[in-house]
Amino acid sequence: MTAIAATSDAGGARVPAGRVVRLLVLIAVLVGIAALAVHNLGTEQAIEQGVNALTRGAIYALIALGYTMVYGIIELINFAHGDMFMVGAFVSLTFLGTILGLEGPIYDIPVLIVTLAATFLVTMGIMGLIGVVIERFAYKPLRNAPRLAPLITAIGVSFILQNLVQLRYGPYQTNSPKIFPDTWTIEVAGATIPVLSLFIIAVAVVLMFSLQMFIGRTRLGRAMRSTAADRDAASLMGVNINRTIAITFLIGSALAGAAGVVNGLQYGVARFDDGFQAGLKAFTAAVLGGIGNTVGAALGGFIIGFIEVGATAMGYTRWGPAIVFGVLVIVLVFRPTGLLGQQLGERA
Amino acid sequence: MKFARVGVVIAAAAIVVAACGGSGGGGIGKALKVGITLPLSGSSLASAGPARDGALLAIKEAKIDGYTLEPVVLDHAVNGVHDPQQGAKDMTTLVSEPAVVGVVGPFNSSVAKVQIPISNEAGLLQCSPANTNPDLTKGDKGKELRAKNPDKINYVRVATTDDIQGPAVAQYGVNVLGLKKVAIVDDTETYGKGIADAFAAEWTKLGGEVVGREGAPKGTTDYTAILTKFKDAGPEAVFYGGVTATGGGLVRKQMPQVGLGDLVYLGGDGIQDGPGTAENAGSFISVAGEAAANSFSSVAAIAEYPGKADFDAKYLKEYGVAAGAYSASGYACAQVVIDAIKAAAAKGDITREAVRVAGTDPATTFETVLGPVKFDAVGDTSQKIISLYKVDLAAADGKGDWAFDKQVDYK
Repeated sequence: MTAIAATSDAGGARVPAGRVVRLLVLIAVLVGIAALAVHNLGTEQAIEQGVNALTRGAIYALIALGYTMVYGIIELINFAHGDMFMVGAFVSLTFLGTILGLEGPIYDIPVLIVTLAATFLVTMGIMGLIGVVIERFAYKPLRNAPRLAPLITAIGVSFILQNLVQLRYGPYQTNSPKIFPDTWTIEVAGATIPVLSLFIIAVAVVLMFSLQMFIGRTRLGRAMRSTAADRDAASLMGVNINRTIAITFLIGSALAGAAGVVNGLQYGVARFDDGFQAGLKAFTAAVLGGIGNTVGAALGGFIIGFIEVGATAMGYTRWGPAIVFGVLVIVLVFRPTGLLGQQLGERA
Repeated sequence: MKFARVGVVIAAAAIVVAACGGSGGGGIGKALKVGITLPLSGSSLASAGPARDGALLAIKEAKIDGYTLEPVVLDHAVNGVHDPQQGAKDMTTLVSEPAVVGVVGPFNSSVAKVQIPISNEAGLLQCSPANTNPDLTKGDKGKELRAKNPDKINYVRVATTDDIQGPAVAQYGVNVLGLKKVAIVDDTETYGKGIADAFAAEWTKLGGEVVGREGAPKGTTDYTAILTKFKDAGPEAVFYGGVTATGGGLVRKQMPQVGLGDLVYLGGDGIQDGPGTAENAGSFISVAGEAAANSFSSVAAIAEYPGKADFDAKYLKEYGVAAGAYSASGYACAQVVIDAIKAAAAKGDITREAVRVAGTDPATTFETVLGPVKFDAVGDTSQKIISLYKVDLAAADGKGDWAFDKQVDYK
């Protein structure tokens, strides 16, 4: 399958002509949208809403990566993945609130950095482990079963996660300590931009870049690509399939955990059913970008962020979801494999 | 916990039955039941729980010669939020139980909208302690809900309507707080959109300006884009039409993030759900935290009623916690249902129809804990009083609570 393989030429030297054209089209579209936004909203609003869109998109993108990686490698739409994001949010709020006993913002920069680093490490670590355990017990036994079986198991896992969290934290919004000060902002062309938003976008970009490097440049990444391309052949060539799939789940779930941390920092609350909406949007992002393609998933996440925030900025909040799915339908009509996806079926 | 509560209720009912030596009789029988249909888990519990406890207290105290009275409590919160579909199912359950002669509830107008046609068809008396949407009773929309029995009013409420509550908050904002420009978010539901519309109309009428209006359904987590858009228009206040469970707390919590933290926050009874204590998790103040400062809300019922001190003491003794904003309303609704049953009993046999007629008669004055209450031709209360509250973050041992400011009579 193309999947993760689609990004394999990250390290290659030859750049196909089609790619350049696509990139140019993308840049033209972005410039067009930016010009339109500035014209309609004024520079200040356009910048502020742009940052809002990037922040929201970053969260969708981080979740979408997990969907797309798992699909790429075992062709499973992991419906429990949105709930992994939600569990990540609860792990992070428990770490910050219950274990560290934090409530309000931390103004001391070194302390803040250490706390944030610890929160990301702990949450991503725990979520990665949970992801591996779920794969081991819920999906691995069904690896050779008909495709519907693991799909249904995934829905089951989703219910289990939601209900466990509901049992422990109750069915209402639980506060997540907002340790990043709201008062930290920078001024750009008259627009006020929260430092937190920039931090979130930076975290997402760093994680995505690391993932690309990992998949493109390491032995394990190569194992993942080969497993995605042809599991049997990879196995014959000495790739440890079980370990590779486990690592895919580990990374995907850790990224969902990171999204959970970021979500808590940004919105300050978590609810046991947050994973449903977020998961749906992230899944849409993955499909929009081309499911199985990691760059596509990230791109899809940001596109959805921009569509939703754009709809609000223009005064059509209620139409946001309709526009998102409208765009999805149009994209799928003209490019059935998504924006950056390549032809499926190598496997069939 | 819910089951424990139900257990207590059943045990209490069993004792009552045993004490009265409950015996069957003709017609419906001597063992009567009053349904309580409220959202009782998650964020909804903070506001609806006290209404349930108020109603249970009244039912426990009630004495009807020759009959026993027992509550049937049904929770229509699904995943912690009131759910109209479950509300409809619960109403069907109550209707199909012959011993149920009256119902207390529901709490949310969106639930009432689906329950009224069912209880109307069955001719079952229903009293809501908290519904405020005008379309539930008034005008053509009210008639549509009563399509099966247009002339038989069966639904009454002790809270007054949003065509009074919304304007009352607007008047408070403009006249008392001296605000001019407001931006509005609603949750697109029956109650939320309705109260926001009524608020907006009055705000404009008073010379104020509505500089932004957005709707975002429950499940929305990110309000920063909406608030950023508002910021451009320079509002002095944000009004939220909806309840805490559908976003009332989140909007307030995110306002400081986009630099709107100093603005006044206004809302109806949907965000007035008690203190920010740990036991009351999920309430507006606990979700919004520090950001809740400078928030104002209303309750579509009387706050300072004559017997308040006595009722509060009685409630505290019974449950060990202070009465909530809707405890007395729940109690009053149960009183209306019980008085209607008594009136029917006085005239002979108790039937649903006799109870319905007694409970909705516009000529009857019910002596409730809230004071004397009459219902008009469509079932709305004669007590048109709005109470206004402000957040006091120092209250409840620094956890924050709503402090009563004043009540206005719109008679």
